[in-house]
Amino acid sequence: MIAPTSWWAALRPSTRALAAAGAVMLALVIGAAVFADLLAAHPPDRASGAPYERPSADHPLGTDDLGRDLWAQLVFGARVSLLVGLVAATAATAAGTAAALVAGWRGGWVDAAIMRAVDLTLSLPFLVLVLVLATYFGRGLEVLIVLIAGVLWSRPARLLRSQVLKIRELGHVVAAEAMGAGPVRILVVHILRRLAPLLSSQFVRAAAVAVIVQSGVAFLGLGDPGRVSWGSTLYFANNGSAILTDAWLWWVVPPGAALTVLIVGLAFVGFAAEEVADPQLVSHGWQRPVRRRLPKEPPEPCPPGVALDVRGLSVDFDGTPAVREADLRIGRGRLLGLVGESGSGKSTLGLAVIGLVPRPGRIRCEALMMGETDLRRLGRAGLQRVRGREVAIVPQAAMSALDPTMTVLSQVAEAAALGAAPDPAGAAADMLARVGIPEGRHRAFPHELSGGQRQRAVMAMAVVNRPGLLIADEPTTGLDVVTQQAVLDLLDDLRADLGLDVWLISHDLPLVASRADDLAVMGSGRIVESGPTATVLSRPRHPHTKKLLTAFGGLEAPMPDPQPAQGEPETGPGEEAR
Amino acid sequence: MTAPIPRRGPRGPAPRWARLGAQYLIVVLAAAVVNFALPRLAPGDPVDYLAPPESGPVDPAWRQAVLERFDLDGSWPRQFASYLGNLIRGDLGISVIDGRPVAEVVAGRLGWSLLLVGTAVAASTLAGVALGFAAGWRRGSRRDVGILTGVLAVDALPAFFVGLMLLMVFSVRLGWFPVYGAVAPDDLTGWAWMADVGQRLALPAITLTLVGVASVFVVARSAMISELGEDYVFMARAKGLSDRSVRGHARRNAMIPVSTAALLGFSTLVGAATVVETVFSYPGLGSLAFAAVRARDYPVLQAVFLLLSLVAVLANLAADLLYPLFDPRVRRPGAR
Repeated sequence: MIAPTSWWAALRPSTRALAAAGAVMLALVIGAAVFADLLAAHPPDRASGAPYERPSADHPLGTDDLGRDLWAQLVFGARVSLLVGLVAATAATAAGTAAALVAGWRGGWVDAAIMRAVDLTLSLPFLVLVLVLATYFGRGLEVLIVLIAGVLWSRPARLLRSQVLKIRELGHVVAAEAMGAGPVRILVVHILRRLAPLLSSQFVRAAAVAVIVQSGVAFLGLGDPGRVSWGSTLYFANNGSAILTDAWLWWVVPPGAALTVLIVGLAFVGFAAEEVADPQLVSHGWQRPVRRRLPKEPPEPCPPGVALDVRGLSVDFDGTPAVREADLRIGRGRLLGLVGESGSGKSTLGLAVIGLVPRPGRIRCEALMMGETDLRRLGRAGLQRVRGREVAIVPQAAMSALDPTMTVLSQVAEAAALGAAPDPAGAAADMLARVGIPEGRHRAFPHELSGGQRQRAVMAMAVVNRPGLLIADEPTTGLDVVTQQAVLDLLDDLRADLGLDVWLISHDLPLVASRADDLAVMGSGRIVESGPTATVLSRPRHPHTKKLLTAFGGLEAPMPDPQPAQGEPETGPGEEAR
Repeated sequence: MTAPIPRRGPRGPAPRWARLGAQYLIVVLAAAVVNFALPRLAPGDPVDYLAPPESGPVDPAWRQAVLERFDLDGSWPRQFASYLGNLIRGDLGISVIDGRPVAEVVAGRLGWSLLLVGTAVAASTLAGVALGFAAGWRRGSRRDVGILTGVLAVDALPAFFVGLMLLMVFSVRLGWFPVYGAVAPDDLTGWAWMADVGQRLALPAITLTLVGVASVFVVARSAMISELGEDYVFMARAKGLSDRSVRGHARRNAMIPVSTAALLGFSTLVGAATVVETVFSYPGLGSLAFAAVRARDYPVLQAVFLLLSLVAVLANLAADLLYPLFDPRVRRPGAR
């Protein structure tokens, strides 16, 4: 990934366009507010002509029912809206931040009390609350601003508190605390600085809400009688029945449009600020699929005895290569182990075969043959038919690969329905039983199963359509040692039962070496060595392989009959008893 | 079949409904306290609101009568006790405008408000979810940016401005809809009555829907985006599901946050209805609140505020009760 040099560079082009459009709109309103005295020839709040005048050179937008210049009301109205937005949003964001910091920092009953107050404020109808308060506390603009801020603080408070809690748990903040940095220093230096982008987006949102509420109150005729604002212009327009005549064009539309421009401007800028605040929002957006020209001549089919033949496959992410010119062959009936340290590109290589490299990855390759089929020529729909039916994958972190809202049985049945089985539910139940999930647990939701059971369910889902090739990506990571062996035994069983070719991807060389017929070693995106397991282990040619071997120790010697690392207990149903 | 799953502690946490009920009771109580406290905290004597000092001196006997009638003469705790007592008995006082019991005035308006806000919540949820899921499916695509820009722009239109423009185009110029009211003055019955109610509901409901659509849209879109990044979506693709089925998985999970957001929007729309009902002269609680503010009819204003708070709280409660329907992890809390 290219490190963003500034917040502007961090935005996606489409967001940049939004942000620019928003900035222009805000600039228009700010310009009108600043230069209102120059732009308007008449005062906004005193009669300067006859009532209900049509637009003329002197009164560009005509006059209202009291003979006041509508153009002047439009440009001076910008001042009121901006003032309300700016002051109320500043106060609300500041109060919300303070509440969030105190609540998140102190925790306990302080936190509980503040958050209940927040919930309470949020659950009362906003505009009605402001109206009721305004009725009792007076109609001045200053009072209204205080009231709006007094209700509005709760929104940033809730959001920021959860962020404070998250940041507090970050390593360097914990470290700073351990080293004796005072709370004020931590709050300001570590937490507030990180909150800054989020604060700006919350500020912009608060400003938009404040503007809307003020204009709503003024439109109801309950605003400050001494101030002309866009809402009050519309109030008089509504009372003067402007919509029944042509006057709506210069009396209703301009203030309404001005409000819209200001609020849209704030919304667009706020949206961009949110993307800066959450870099996750920027990454992996959807990309248009790339059409590539393939040579007319199909590549040679797999040699006999080879199930999958990968030639010269490369994957890069935004120009950063992850896999370079990889060649790989999986023999029929064999188990190929692909080892390499994390980040070596081994998972990406596995995903590339079935076209599931995450965005923005790009795959290039010379040939990708499965028997007679050229996987590259299948297209989207064709690849979809290959997945699960000819090539299946048990992905990394398979334990979270189950949909939390569906029972495991229906998820396996959903996969089975894609295959030839006449009774998908029955086939799914059979397969679940076969991988060792007792029938009583078939209708369990994923959260009701143990990690090992979920791993088994995912394997059942992968092989239920009896694919020819199973790619198992780190199937044992995150499991305890006993469960690891049980999962590998299951893999062996399935392999024997269903006649699968298996491609086992792992960082754990001893574990892979104990099961694999063939071994391929990957380092910085390249396959540096491959061959039968015994050969690779006994006569490693590439320095990277040697390094991997020494890293695990005790594996340099030839291993005619590889044993699992020191005295594993018998694999059993231990994983079930969590 | 499935063995009952033991609860965490020996005694276990209080049941969900009990905790929720207690929380919401507190909110309702707080709204009642706000209602009680505001007129007493506000600057000036409550009597000043009824007879503004600038309109001349007040007869002390009349003043005492007013204080007694509105229960403002005792100590604060005693006043609060009798206020709560009246509230529980459903006695909300007498309207200053027309001398009818407040409970009666408010009850006549509640149905129209629920019809309007309920329609708007349903419509804005449907539209917001459909648009949000469509936009989030391919984030950053032309369709996404187009929908996003459109929704943000619609959201920025002030409700009263939209209302005025709709009124002008469809009622005044085209004459398709009546200009105001919720039901015709003459005695329609059966289908004719329903048709008339629907016709008069259309414009205010559309306006209010436009107000509410963006908040649902934003949640639906970001929920869709974050669900698409989950491992189970990758697995759904890897097992060979079509885009359609993959979307189905993501949708079902994205509905969890969306259902909450949609019902929380209820309280925003209840507030926005004040403005919309005023534009269309729709006889709901919002326009009643407005009329009460203008006429300084405090008993009515307090009752409306309390009732609207209650509606918002009930919507929250509904959101909490609906949540388990969408999320089995809440419905069937497991051993983990």
